[in-house]
Amino acid sequence: MKKLSVILLNFFLLSLPTLLWAAEGLDVPEELGRKVDLTNLGGINYFFAKWYNDNLWVYAIIVTVLMGVMGLVIALGTDVILKMVGMETHKIEHHE
Amino acid sequence: MFDIYLPIAGMQFNALILIAIGFSVGVLGGFFGVGGAWVVTPALNIFGFPMAYAIGTDLAHIFGKSIVATAKHRKMGNVDMKLGLLSIVGSVIGVEIGARNVMWLTKVGYAGPVVRYTYMVLLFGLGIYMLYDYLTKDKRAAAQAAKAAAAARSGIATPPRKAWNLPPMIHFPASGITISFWTVTGVFLFTGWLSGFLGVGGGFIRMPALIYLIGCPTAIAVGTDLFSVLFSGAYGCFTYGVKARVEIIAAILMLFGAAVGAQIGVTAVKYIRGYGIRLLFAIMIILAGSSVALKQFNFTTTAGFVVMAAALGMCVVIMIQLYRGFQKEKAEKAAMLAREELS
Repeated sequence: MKKLSVILLNFFLLSLPTLLWAAEGLDVPEELGRKVDLTNLGGINYFFAKWYNDNLWVYAIIVTVLMGVMGLVIALGTDVILKMVGMETHKIEHHE
Repeated sequence: MFDIYLPIAGMQFNALILIAIGFSVGVLGGFFGVGGAWVVTPALNIFGFPMAYAIGTDLAHIFGKSIVATAKHRKMGNVDMKLGLLSIVGSVIGVEIGARNVMWLTKVGYAGPVVRYTYMVLLFGLGIYMLYDYLTKDKRAAAQAAKAAAAARSGIATPPRKAWNLPPMIHFPASGITISFWTVTGVFLFTGWLSGFLGVGGGFIRMPALIYLIGCPTAIAVGTDLFSVLFSGAYGCFTYGVKARVEIIAAILMLFGAAVGAQIGVTAVKYIRGYGIRLLFAIMIILAGSSVALKQFNFTTTAGFVVMAAALGMCVVIMIQLYRGFQKEKAEKAAMLAREELS
């Protein structure tokens, strides 16, 4: 009987988020709608601006993947450098 | 002299300012486990960065920075990945509900004042509670010890504190806690709702929630919160990229500064006890609340300077504590070596 009441309470709690849902849909910010002037741009600036103008989905993917990869490379690189200079990170004891 | 051209924003901007903003947010983020958007946006605004791109650019750099900081916290044993992954479920649902509630309030015309005052009450309330927690910790510890001693003398066992043990119970070995799935989900649903309602990343809400509502040790709350920020940062980077609001060159420069700052902030956690981190966090969010209050009364530029001065001041405090802790560790190692040589 106790197990059944626990299961029923679990189902009720699972349904709570849908009961709390407000009626309105999300008001997402619209695109800025401007195009970047590509004249006098070169190299990496031209690359980013071209995709920004042509396809924002591809631009978003490039930006997200690039920031993720850069974060990973910096994290791994600093680990290696700190290990080389004898400042390797170790597990710590937690004191409140 | 250090001006560079930002192609998406279409303007010149000082690269050193971007790196410096990234550095200070990196220190704060690595130390407190927060994204730092509430520092970056006003800071960029003061220096003339177009506001249309500030939030998206900031989220892009937060994504990269939180990878760096989380990786280091993980090496220190401060990331409870099981808890972090579970937090995403409740948070995402909570954010969606919060955002829809704001849309409803907007429709009835009350969104502005309700959100602003909720934000101020939250920041001041949380900051004052954490200050009170820090100032009374010794008194509470002494009272608990006296209670335990009295119970030992009388031979009557102290009854355990009642907890809500609704199954399924989940054990989080990294945090050393066993807690109801519903407690964890409920807490993150609530913190997610606050994030969606206030339009913030939520790191500064989740970190104290992990400490006070879930029962995580402070350092693990910092690392686990950063792990959650990583996912919200990734989502934010992508969605704002699609909305044409990410200035990628600025984000990269801020990331370089943040990567260095995060190393300092994360390492400082090693040398400061949990309650020390809570005290500094309390001061930081009270100052952030003051900035919001100033903005509410239309002192926008002053508000920006207050939050920037608070961020820079806190960075200096953290770096001083790191230096002191490092010197103390070095002296202890030298003393230990000297003792070994003598014996």
